[in-house]
Amino acid sequence: MRELDLQIAERLLDNGLTVIAVRNPTAQTFAASAVLDVDMRDEQEAERGLAYLIGECFDEGTRRRSGVELAQALDDIGCSLAGHCSGAAVTGPAKDAEPALALLREVLFEPSFPAREVARVKDEIRQEIEVDLADPRAVAQQRFRREVYGPHPYAHPEYGSAEHIARHDPEALHGFHRRWYVPRRGYVALAGPLELDRGLDVLAAEFAGLEGTATDHRPAPEPGLPEPSNVHLAMEREQVHVFVGHPGIRRTDPDYHALVVMDHILGSGPGFTARIPRRLRDEQGLCYTVHASISHTAGEEPGTFAAYIGTSPAHRDRAIAGFLEEIERIRQDLPDETELVDVRDYLTGSYVFSFERNAQLARHVIRAKRLGLGFDHLEEYPERIRAVTREDVLRVARAHLHPDHMVRVSAGGS
Amino acid sequence: MVPDVHELALSNGLRALLVRRSSLPVVASSIWYRVGSRDERTGETGLSHFLEHMMFKGTDRYAKGEIDLLTSRMGGSNNAFTDNDLTGYYFSLASDRWETALEIEASRMRNCLLDAAEFAAEKNVVLEEMAMGEDDPWTSIYRRTESLVYQVHPYHHPIIGWRQDIERVPVETMRGYYRRNYGPDRATLVIVGDIDLDRTEGRIHELFGGEQPIGGVREAVLGEPEPEGDRRATIRTPGTTTRLAIAAQTCRMGEDDDFTLDVLSCVLANGKASRLFRDMVLEQQLVSEVGTVNEPRLDPGAFWFTFELSPGVEPTRVEDALRAQLRQVEEHGVSDEELRRARTQLTSAFLFEEETALDSALRIGRWDAQCRGGYRRLAEVETRYAAVDSARLQSAVARYLSPMTWNVVTSLPGGDAERGNGAGDA
Repeated sequence: MRELDLQIAERLLDNGLTVIAVRNPTAQTFAASAVLDVDMRDEQEAERGLAYLIGECFDEGTRRRSGVELAQALDDIGCSLAGHCSGAAVTGPAKDAEPALALLREVLFEPSFPAREVARVKDEIRQEIEVDLADPRAVAQQRFRREVYGPHPYAHPEYGSAEHIARHDPEALHGFHRRWYVPRRGYVALAGPLELDRGLDVLAAEFAGLEGTATDHRPAPEPGLPEPSNVHLAMEREQVHVFVGHPGIRRTDPDYHALVVMDHILGSGPGFTARIPRRLRDEQGLCYTVHASISHTAGEEPGTFAAYIGTSPAHRDRAIAGFLEEIERIRQDLPDETELVDVRDYLTGSYVFSFERNAQLARHVIRAKRLGLGFDHLEEYPERIRAVTREDVLRVARAHLHPDHMVRVSAGGS
Repeated sequence: MVPDVHELALSNGLRALLVRRSSLPVVASSIWYRVGSRDERTGETGLSHFLEHMMFKGTDRYAKGEIDLLTSRMGGSNNAFTDNDLTGYYFSLASDRWETALEIEASRMRNCLLDAAEFAAEKNVVLEEMAMGEDDPWTSIYRRTESLVYQVHPYHHPIIGWRQDIERVPVETMRGYYRRNYGPDRATLVIVGDIDLDRTEGRIHELFGGEQPIGGVREAVLGEPEPEGDRRATIRTPGTTTRLAIAAQTCRMGEDDDFTLDVLSCVLANGKASRLFRDMVLEQQLVSEVGTVNEPRLDPGAFWFTFELSPGVEPTRVEDALRAQLRQVEEHGVSDEELRRARTQLTSAFLFEEETALDSALRIGRWDAQCRGGYRRLAEVETRYAAVDSARLQSAVARYLSPMTWNVVTSLPGGDAERGNGAGDA
């Protein structure tokens, strides 16, 4: 099988923004993604939910046009734009990449945060919070993160709380935006059919003129290993949603690749090939959805090790026992050679499928840069996976899975 | 915009649609059976979907779990889905090993084991999937609305089936259903990717040519009579949000009105500049979310409106606002600018349906299975959208979306009060 052969080029602009072009020669569409050096970690306690609110308000209007006029401009070229707490992304037909990039720049760096629209979006977020409070899976997940992350900002939902949202006004949005949403240490990637040099020129022409002084981040406190706990939140539902786990790893952890392999042996392989889904769904029929992983959430900050199942209340204890037994087993015994080979074959063979879409390409290259891994790392991934041994899997399972520090949270039927 | 399709027809009735696409060394292989929840009778609802689960539980050649294991070892992915009108299975694999997918499909077309013990175990998984849906407010609302839109036609029952049918159905019933509905003359292969056309054709003949046709024709189903008036239901779901779904029966996939209703859907609710969003979300702030879906099917489908209401807003105000907006379109039409934007949005969406080999295979397969005239109709899409004018939108609103034909489901908060309290430590 052909190995991945990515065409990528980058340029650091004078204002500190890095622009990245990825060539996907036969694509009829493009994707552009902008990620700035800001997220919920930069919020003070009173500012909780501000970055999320800003992301939701990016398309509510700019200094040049109202939210409706912006939507019309995007509709005119068949493009879609969505904001998030660290930036925004736009997709559309390849021929319209340039006007779409201009709109992306406008929403990111010239938002107007109109008072009426901010008030409306705040109401929508309050409603989103209400919906989550009635959803046992969301309730369980939020409580799990609170227990796992302790003092770390990720203990809180990205949208803050209803009380926090009520306090944020357009002035607060403008202040936080001025301080954090600046080009320095940010990235904009364009993936599509454009030649690399042309792609970089287009990006530079659009983003070079911006200015702004970057603020330094406060380091987030490390989430230490929690004391074991067992929380059940009773809600009258057909199913109960269970999370079992503890803090995980950063993406830059040297054990990352071995943990990806471990995850796929333990709980996140395709179909029902991994041990936990095979046991709890395929053999015991306890659920429709079940998985476990430590590598999936690894980022700049520690992720979580989390095993999840949605099952009938009568099966809750059996499911948790199944999780704990399989976690113990992977810490005690070397995996079979066939399990290891199967997983390595899957991960190396399927890697190409995560580069099929322009949006995936843009996301991959920005992530590689933000994490300081470099573009070569993207092409070297299969080789690193192939180098993982059975002994590596046992070693990282023992080093990174902590049965004595498991947080167990469930919500739903009792 | 529409890829070149190489068509193959075997003497046993199997069709294959092959598309060569070499931008990446991958192949998407899919097979589409012309059977879905539409074909289920009383007492056997949910069988199409349950059978789809069982197709991974062992065949004469592949033991239980082996299909997933083989796919995984080859670095690929597979999945399946059941619809009202069809059941589809697909693999995404590297181009140097994709033919294993064909071998698997050839084996499970007629030789799925449907082992009784596996059937009993998988029944629990399906019941858990059902419970998951019952806990989801929108799933409950959609199912209730669909059962109002269709009183006679089998689209009345949910794809996953009625709980009692699933609990009671014996394995023998599923075996009979499988024998009656899975065979070469009920299937179409759709393969898109870095393939050698001649070799692929040869392998299809070799693997599927020996299968006998199952014969018979897909049974006719009862048509849905013209509604005599609007139909309404109120349900209770947990939480504090009031939701509203309004649906009306429309047309078949690929009919002239289908394209008109796609354009109408964009004009009404695609993005912040759309009519319903501007009026109901931005100006009157009656709802926080509004959506429309044109859902054509093999038999007449439905047009959907969905709303999440702002706190304190009475559902009747939302209905009134929708009536006013539809009346506006019916009486005055829409502007050329709105039409142009809607066409641009639809054309752009059409491009994204071609982004990966699997996207392309799924689009071709769906059109071929659900649209009279098959996948060839894809070539007409752009010109069909271009032909939609304001007068057509006016007439579609008058014909399909009169409030007299609405099916309205209101979901009020209160599921918690009736079923117990909200979250609390225990």
